Amino acid sequence: MRFTLVDRILELERGKRVAAVKTVSLTEDYLVDHFPRFPVLPGVFMLEAMTQASAWLIRVTDDFAHSMVMLKEARNVKFADFVVPGKTLHVSAEIKSRDEHTTTLAAHGSVDGESKVSGRLVLHHYNLADTDPRDAAMDQHVRQDLRKMLGLLWPEGVASQAAV
Amino acid sequence: MQTQEEILSKVQEALVEALGVDDDEVTPDATLVGDLGAESIDFLDIVFRLEKAFSIKIPRDELFPEDILTNDEYVQDGRVNEAGVAKLAERMPFADLSKFKENPAVQDFANQLTVSDMCRYVENKLAA
Amino acid sequence: MRWFWIDRFEELVSGQYAVAVKNVSAAEPQMQDHFASHPVMPTSLIIEGMAQTGGLLVSEYNDFQERVVLAKLAKSVFHCYAMPGDTLHYRATIQQIHKDGAMVRVTSHLGERTQGEVDLFFAHLSDRAHGRELFEPSQFLNWLKAVRIFHVGRKADGSPLRIPPHLQQHASGGIRHSEPVPSQTAS
Repeated sequence: MRFTLVDRILELERGKRVAAVKTVSLTEDYLVDHFPRFPVLPGVFMLEAMTQASAWLIRVTDDFAHSMVMLKEARNVKFADFVVPGKTLHVSAEIKSRDEHTTTLAAHGSVDGESKVSGRLVLHHYNLADTDPRDAAMDQHVRQDLRKMLGLLWPEGVASQAAV
Repeated sequence: MQTQEEILSKVQEALVEALGVDDDEVTPDATLVGDLGAESIDFLDIVFRLEKAFSIKIPRDELFPEDILTNDEYVQDGRVNEAGVAKLAERMPFADLSKFKENPAVQDFANQLTVSDMCRYVENKLAA
Repeated sequence: MRWFWIDRFEELVSGQYAVAVKNVSAAEPQMQDHFASHPVMPTSLIIEGMAQTGGLLVSEYNDFQERVVLAKLAKSVFHCYAMPGDTLHYRATIQQIHKDGAMVRVTSHLGERTQGEVDLFFAHLSDRAHGRELFEPSQFLNWLKAVRIFHVGRKADGSPLRIPPHLQQHASGGIRHSEPVPSQTAS
């Protein structure tokens, strides 16, 4: 299974905000268990969609300076309603504050204009080499893999960045 | 016996924690829904925090009088009648219903609950 | 990808607390992209494991009559990350429980170290999904048995947890409802 909870990045403004989409399909195999009689996108996958959109914003803003971007804190994340197969969750995230290794964002998800999820996220960005210099090569590999993924999620963005 | 300032301070803390708003947004006149962005999920969080902070029990229908707001006897065409407003006043003596009386639309009821209303509610509970 | 983010319960005391285990493996599907050259357990899936631990604890309090769904993640903080080969222990403690829902604090541990802490709010299903059932009863019971809730679970008075009558009719072997489950010796 591809662990991408973002299907497409729609807009990205470096240092500011990102908008992306995640469409839910009945073929997603975890839906068999969540739930057998009422398949819906799990709340934590709504959170993961917001996290991944935020992570892409950070990576593009910093030009992949950090290979690792992880969700470190989440506050007041409300799961207002369910997202059913066939529907598209529009996620957006806006940077509220940053320092060298953490970024705080206000994130939101909606379907057909109705709010489904919202919350405040703190993402931690770092390199493996920060703790062990021998891992610098691994950082490079992670970056390469992620750049390829970005090419799939935001082809027009990557092309325009290249043209600059 | 807790003073009004102590009660306000604890209510403010509960709302800041539950709603993720800043301290200075939680003014006495701020409405929970309109000004502070409380949604229905948040009310459970708020209730739990207030119960813990003040060692009181908050039965749901004392703050959210759904039984009155969904009763045909008290509500017609989405508006609460005089008898209904009287019943609400009886159930919720802590709430300032003067604005609601001017335009008693059911869907607006939850929206007009303020921080002061919550403080008065707690005060009444502690005095009981 | 199955949606089982705990492997089994080690302890459960009805209405109080529960401890569940999650082993992190390189073979799990999310590790393929998270991240290909350096697999690490996504925080969101740790939160799900904590929610499953807390949610089943809350559901058990009412004999699994009501389904609970995660309504709000009030606060969550993570101090370090979990990698393939790690074993996570989730400890859930009920803070408050009402007929509308419950608040549960869950901590996640890597050995002696506290890996994370979350405060979760669960809402009871009837409030959330207009009476929709989530599981086939037999599937739900099989999951409860697979995570060994009835093997380790205890009521507050220390007596063993039994399969509640409304689920007993779906029991298809394994644990017979008329007999208490043999207790596991601590390993």
